[in-house]
Amino acid sequence: MSGAAESARIALPASGGALAHVIGVARRSPTFVIGAAIILAFAALAVFHPWLMPHDPVRAFPTQVLHAPDAQFWFGTDSNGMDVFSRVIYGAIYAFAIAAPVVVIGMAIGVPIGLFTGYRGGWLDEIVMRFFDALRVFPSIILALAVVAAAGPSLLNVILVLGILDSPVYARVVRAEVLALRANAYVESAVAAGNPTWRILFVHLMPNALQGAMAQSAVRAAWAVRISATLAFLGVGIQPPTPEWGAMIRQGAEYMVTGQWWVGIFPGAALIALVLGLNMLGDGLQDLLDPRRKAATR
Amino acid sequence: MSLLEVEDLHTHFIARGLDNRIRTARALNGVSFALEAGRTLGLVGETGAGKSLTALSIMGLLRAPARIVAGAIRFEGRDLVGASEDELNALRGGSIALIVQSPRTSLDPLTRVGDQLIAVHRAHRQVDAAAARERAIAMLASVGIPDPARRMNAWPHELSGGMAQRILIAMALINEPRLLIADEPTTGLDVTVQAQVLDLLRRLVREKGIGAIVITHDLGVVAHYCDDVAVMYAGSIVESGSVRAVFGDPRHPYTRNLIASTPEKLQVDRGRRPAVPPPNLYALPDGCHYRDRCPDAAELCAQAPPWIAVGDPGHCARCHFASRQGTAA
Amino acid sequence: MSAPILQVDGLVKHFPTARKGQVVHAVNDVSFAIRAGETVGMVGESGSGKSTIGRAVLRLLEPTSGSIHFQGRDIAHLPERALRPLRADMQIVFQDPWAALNPRLRARDLIEEPLLLHTDLDKVARRSRAAGLADRVHLSDALLDRYPAELSGGQLQRVCIARAIATNPKLIVFDEPTSSLDLSVRAGILELLHELRTETGAAMLFITHDLGTVKLISDRVLVLYLGRIVEEAPTGAIFERGAHPYTQALMSAHLPPDPSVRLRRHVLEGEIPSPIGLPPGCGFASRCPLAVERCRTLSPPLEALGPSHRAACLRIAEGANRLDAATPA
Ligand SMILES: Nc1ncnc2c1ncn2[C@@H]1O[C@H](COP(=O)(O)OP(=O)(O)O)[C@@H](O)[C@H]1O
Ligand SMILES: Nc1ncnc2c1ncn2[C@@H]1O[C@H](COP(=O)(O)OP(=O)(O)O)[C@@H](O)[C@H]1O
Ligand code: SF4
Ligand SMILES: [Mg+2]
Ligand SMILES: [Mg+2]
Repeated sequence: MSGAAESARIALPASGGALAHVIGVARRSPTFVIGAAIILAFAALAVFHPWLMPHDPVRAFPTQVLHAPDAQFWFGTDSNGMDVFSRVIYGAIYAFAIAAPVVVIGMAIGVPIGLFTGYRGGWLDEIVMRFFDALRVFPSIILALAVVAAAGPSLLNVILVLGILDSPVYARVVRAEVLALRANAYVESAVAAGNPTWRILFVHLMPNALQGAMAQSAVRAAWAVRISATLAFLGVGIQPPTPEWGAMIRQGAEYMVTGQWWVGIFPGAALIALVLGLNMLGDGLQDLLDPRRKAATR
Repeated sequence: MSLLEVEDLHTHFIARGLDNRIRTARALNGVSFALEAGRTLGLVGETGAGKSLTALSIMGLLRAPARIVAGAIRFEGRDLVGASEDELNALRGGSIALIVQSPRTSLDPLTRVGDQLIAVHRAHRQVDAAAARERAIAMLASVGIPDPARRMNAWPHELSGGMAQRILIAMALINEPRLLIADEPTTGLDVTVQAQVLDLLRRLVREKGIGAIVITHDLGVVAHYCDDVAVMYAGSIVESGSVRAVFGDPRHPYTRNLIASTPEKLQVDRGRRPAVPPPNLYALPDGCHYRDRCPDAAELCAQAPPWIAVGDPGHCARCHFASRQGTAA
Repeated sequence: MSAPILQVDGLVKHFPTARKGQVVHAVNDVSFAIRAGETVGMVGESGSGKSTIGRAVLRLLEPTSGSIHFQGRDIAHLPERALRPLRADMQIVFQDPWAALNPRLRARDLIEEPLLLHTDLDKVARRSRAAGLADRVHLSDALLDRYPAELSGGQLQRVCIARAIATNPKLIVFDEPTSSLDLSVRAGILELLHELRTETGAAMLFITHDLGTVKLISDRVLVLYLGRIVEEAPTGAIFERGAHPYTQALMSAHLPPDPSVRLRRHVLEGEIPSPIGLPPGCGFASRCPLAVERCRTLSPPLEALGPSHRAACLRIAEGANRLDAATPA
């Protein structure tokens, strides 16, 4: 058992360089590699946008309203005469500017809750989990709609609301890991050494319980991108003419029937690609972190 | 002709690493021993020495990346290394039986124990269901299970560890094997239950004249329940002979170290022993594989040591200095 | 004779089961004391309540009833906050060193942790103290920067021991510290414990099911059966003159690694009963070869047989407690 595994592990000579490692990862999870490539591409758009955008994303060309794609306006122009191509590129910034803080806020709230309820157990755990169950009954989009509508449709509000709404996801994942870890002798050994509760939670449990939450974060970022775009599409989130994909799709939807398809299709495609990339990254991460899962699900 | 002869058996794990290079773990390198009918051989060694792998090699149960790369295994004169899967299937569970390490996981949890016994019996014997059932009940009775007819209907999870081990013994012996291999049959059982199971095994093996291999890391079990012993280190047998001879006058330094390490023989007042890490199967030293851990190693040890017969007939050790009387540590 | 470091009286621990109203009677009215510098062995079969007692006396779980006086103060129901400073004086080493250490911390930080929690030493002082501790458990300096996954079982257990002795505790509980280690690694750990026993002067409660180990390491032995102490005596007396029939049977099941030792076997029937529906009377009656009618109804008290010898069997008074007189060996 552990003894045999141990001697085999010690015996293994150090494996090859970084390239071999990358190849190994690629072989174990192509999903991860494709997802990562898509996200890197969007990140590049966001970082290098000043050089990539042919036009100012909020500059209107009053004479070129609803212009079809051509050599000057690759993705055409919208009803304000703004360049859709530049706006799609600029939209990547908004996508990251929303997704990243939403994930950070969700984790900052959810992880400690999951650590504490999982470690403590008992009635507190019971109440918190029941509350989360109750929250789950409402689709998150409806909750988000209600709260953003009440708090006012600013970027900051959208981020705060989505972050808070998403924290139960992390709490649950972390709690489940803590429940499994708690049976581990090292937690008892930490108690026996005289660790205060906060040290047990944050020094001993958190680093070992974060894997699942980390893998989830990519999928939750996809959710944040999707929901924030939906809010904008429904008109309660970020408002046009901000070059945000959801707002652009909303604008484009009106022109779909009249034949100016490019206004909505391009931001829509960008949104789908980024959400897909993030989801693939998340799936791939989970495969890499837990190879058993891959064996079981394929 | 011995019941079982294993000759210079080499089993390796050959696998490709992440970097595409081939790595070979020489898990068994030159295992040789013979077993006579009616005798019990204790195969003893520490974790990773290759005891279970030896059993699996004999049973033809190796799975990739493990492979027999050289050597011969003869059961009643028949070579098993080259035997076809059909031939092996006919032998396994019939003339050769294996009791594997963990009694709990080696019973099918979804089948009543009686049905498992009957299935094993009918796989090898042309008997009708009623006769097989009768035989199964008789086997349960012979391994000391009270009210055997009722126990036929028990599910594996209802059995205690000792009970499960008895059922496995019944299953192994139901087809009257001539060779029985028991891999750590009492590891995990309590001492008083271990005594019951070992007594039972000894009685049945004696009654039926079976040749048995008992794999264990417990020198006490070997000392009191085996006729012969083979000591394994890093995939080789380093010393073998009758239990009395090997324990009374161990000639291989590893055997001496093993015996001196038992709590009963340990001399805690005599100062500290050097820490000896487990052998590295990917890079075993040439010559004597124990050379880099051996307190008595000399220049000569860079050459592979021969088997040297010592004192008692059948007692031999694979050490250049085996004929030197050991200072029984 | 000094005042005891640990004095346990009437310790009871019940665990709830899935079924309502049913409890596991893990520990039933256990009383014993450990004096400074003394090593007390605790033996018994799995499920007899050894680990539960070990955890209860360190208040890693709260007893159902009874008192636990540690250095004169009853800690049986102290809240965790009040216990924390006391933890510097009472430590534990667990069975499985692979599971007992946080995989994310380096050996150095693991050894430093108790110093960080219980002393005012600054970082530099802690570091040098940790190096000193590593040296005391014979762990080479180079290993301190490794993570647990990069250390062997024996090395990990040394880290655990270094942690346990870091704050110079008055009491250390060892819960089967060598059970998951290989023979030669186990020998090294036992040698170390023997050294520390005299060096630290700490009282030790040494839990094990290995009779050879308990014989080697302890001054006094407690024998447990079904959550009760059935006998308590100096080590020599337990092995040679056990008064309780269970002690006699247990010791007779011990297999010393020496074929020339003649065994006097008293093989027990059956296995330890379930602690859920605790039988009335003597817990051992269902397996005891000497049981008479009243053993099934009267609970035998733990009575003094000599200055430091206690046993709980109804038949001692009438001198009918010897197994070898009752059963042919
Ligand atoms: N897949 C594998 N690849 C490489 N080595 C392996 C593999 N599986 C097992 N081994 C090695 O084979 C050796 C023999 O194992 P085993 O026969 O189970 O030992 P024992 O039963 O004596 O404890 C061990 O050292 C183990 O590390
Ligand atoms: N946390 C727990 N919950 C329920 N039952 C337990 C728990 N811990 C131990 N037990 C039960 O208490 C009894 C004594 O266990 P333990 O003290 O671990 O025995 P030992 O260490 O002697 O093997 C066993 O029947 C065990 O199943
Ligand atoms: S009290 Fe009775 S049953 Fe219990 S050990 Fe003594 S003789 Fe046996
Ligand atoms: Mg094995
Ligand atoms: Mg235990």
